[in-house]
Amino acid sequence: MGIKIAAMVLAGGKGTRLKSLTRKTAKPAVSYGAKYRIIDFPLSNCANSGINHVGVLTQYESSELNTYIGNGKNWGLNGVNSLTSVLTPHQTEEGSSWYRGTADAIYENLDWLDRLDPEHVLILSGDHIYCTTFDEMLARHIAAKADCTISVIEVPWEEASRFGILETDEKGNITAFKEKPKNPTSNLASMGIYIFDYKTLRAELIADAKKENSQHDFGGDIIPTMLSEGKRMISYTFKGYWKDVGTIASLHQANMDLLLSGDPEINLFTVQASHRIYTEDTHAVPQYVGPKAKIRDCLINQGATILGEVDHCVISDGVVVQEGAVVRNSVLMADAFIGKNARVNSAMCGPSSFVGENEIINEEAKDIALVSKTK
Amino acid sequence: MNMKDVIGMVNFHSSPLIRPLCDSRSLGSTSFLGRYALCDFALSNFCNSGIERVGLLVKDHERSVLKHVGSMDSWVHNTKTGQMRILFNEAACNNPELNTDLNNIKENDWILYDSNADYVILAPVHIIAPIDFRPLLEKHIANKERITVLATKIDNPKEEYLGQDILSLDRLGYVEDIRQNDGSIEGPSLASMGVVIINRTVLADMIHQFLPKNPYLHLGGLVYRAAVEGIYKVKCEIYDGYSRCFDSFKHYMDYSFEILEREHFDGLFRPSWPIYTITQDTPPSIYSETANVSNSFVSNGSTVEGTVINSILCRNVKVAKGAVVRNSIVFSNTKIGEDAVVENALLDKYGIITRGHHVSGKEDDPIYVEQGIIL
Repeated sequence: MGIKIAAMVLAGGKGTRLKSLTRKTAKPAVSYGAKYRIIDFPLSNCANSGINHVGVLTQYESSELNTYIGNGKNWGLNGVNSLTSVLTPHQTEEGSSWYRGTADAIYENLDWLDRLDPEHVLILSGDHIYCTTFDEMLARHIAAKADCTISVIEVPWEEASRFGILETDEKGNITAFKEKPKNPTSNLASMGIYIFDYKTLRAELIADAKKENSQHDFGGDIIPTMLSEGKRMISYTFKGYWKDVGTIASLHQANMDLLLSGDPEINLFTVQASHRIYTEDTHAVPQYVGPKAKIRDCLINQGATILGEVDHCVISDGVVVQEGAVVRNSVLMADAFIGKNARVNSAMCGPSSFVGENEIINEEAKDIALVSKTK
Repeated sequence: MNMKDVIGMVNFHSSPLIRPLCDSRSLGSTSFLGRYALCDFALSNFCNSGIERVGLLVKDHERSVLKHVGSMDSWVHNTKTGQMRILFNEAACNNPELNTDLNNIKENDWILYDSNADYVILAPVHIIAPIDFRPLLEKHIANKERITVLATKIDNPKEEYLGQDILSLDRLGYVEDIRQNDGSIEGPSLASMGVVIINRTVLADMIHQFLPKNPYLHLGGLVYRAAVEGIYKVKCEIYDGYSRCFDSFKHYMDYSFEILEREHFDGLFRPSWPIYTITQDTPPSIYSETANVSNSFVSNGSTVEGTVINSILCRNVKVAKGAVVRNSIVFSNTKIGEDAVVENALLDKYGIITRGHHVSGKEDDPIYVEQGIIL
């Protein structure tokens, strides 16, 4: 007997624009929100949706990410009738190759899906930040007997040309899809979250794999082909906070969005009561705030030691901010060290980064500075 | 020496009854520094010492203990070979005098008769110290001891280790005499830390021999009989690191606040000796622009908009704007309303201090506020 739904999380991206943060770490494994890694969000969303069969497709700098995902224990995805598998490119009878695109990554793992025999397959991105369940989207997909349901979000019109844009009729049926249109006629952007009827998806992927001119990409190939074939494709409008962080600046902003000074509507923690975000358990000591410390508008994880002044910051475990140091508008990732009387402005301090005594970082604060120097 | 030959037992029976703090919980499952329960220290000592077969000798309030230990895999390296068991003496539930550690072991006597372990190490929950059992056990084996106890030097028995055994040793380091510390003993003394290393067969023999005659006998009494009545020689090893015996409400408060001082913090938390606890999946703590925090431990899940000085906030505590928390410990899920003042107090969990309300204890006599209260 098969299962209702399996999720496939695409986590192979390189995230080049995150510079040193992704030099040795896959983008989904990048630290976020003082405690989490980006992939905690899609995986927790699956767990909170009762989706207990999850394949995570990894490729770039995958050892850290693969180790982190493990058997899914961090997200409770290791229980009875649950399965978490890390699916990396592998050798087969036909040969071996890297994943050639998002669709190819799923195609190469059809065996894994066949064994589960799901009715539906949820395709997710491992590097999006949002907090939701997929219950409503799946209900809509099933009720509409759709071949494919695409989650969309309304984006500001002026930004629409940066996204894959969907046009829909009044019932939400997708009528057209345009990748990064110059003159958008809709502001419904695809979030890269799809639910497919598995049998349909399987046939489409097999057909696509044979096409020599295909990029084997969901947005670029599979979705347009299905539309042209007249498949039943509907949209599901997502309401809430959703971010695809591509750059140092956008990752910095996504961190700052979590602070109380941000829009309370988009604070991810306000929705945590029913949908917690799960993550790795670190054996950190309690968070200590020293006698001379000043903390304003910050998010700080256990295991941090704050002896200086921090204002408008997101601070992970193991971070030390020494006495006299002043850190503003910055993200301090795990084990970052800020020396005595140092001044740090608008910075992303990577894991284990080191700012020495009296050192000044980004005084002018025109852009977000990336600190990756370690001791 | 193979640590697989050892059974560890975390002894909840020997804790003093600290009222009203422990009216609804055992001292071992009482929150400490916002993040831990007191039993985490004994459990982590076993884990860090490579002892993976551990029994929890639970006296009462098993609901509270079970809630804290969860699936019990937070304190073992290998979740298959590592075994943690709850040992409980149901028969003695309604008869507190018979609800002793030895009767609990006897009730669960498969440990004594059905295991291949050579040694049993018992450690109490109410005395915390980073203890590596391995060198102690090595000495115990090398010198062919049958019983080894651990003690520490204290300066003023009138003020510390109350209710514990005070030991006198002969010149070879064997226990010669034992007196209970009733608060009348003067000057530097050697206080038992409640840790007993005993050959399994010796423990079984002694239980078999003495318990039928005296069913009220407890572990301390057994050691007394062995040492003072000369049945077995009892070796005493001296521990000279950080250790504290939680023997009163006042000491619970004092020993908590004392960790705010770096010297004590470093004594309890050593980089090579992590203290494990169960994960609660709470988001990091969040501070608003109006927050004013100094010399405090703040746990994850807390929201601070007011002032917190010389205090310890447990998980999910809310301190509203204008509120002041000073020299206090606030247990989890407590809300402190706008402009409320909490001074020299322990607020037990799930309380609500309403807007503008004052809760004040004396500096040398902190007030206890019961759980779930609305003031």
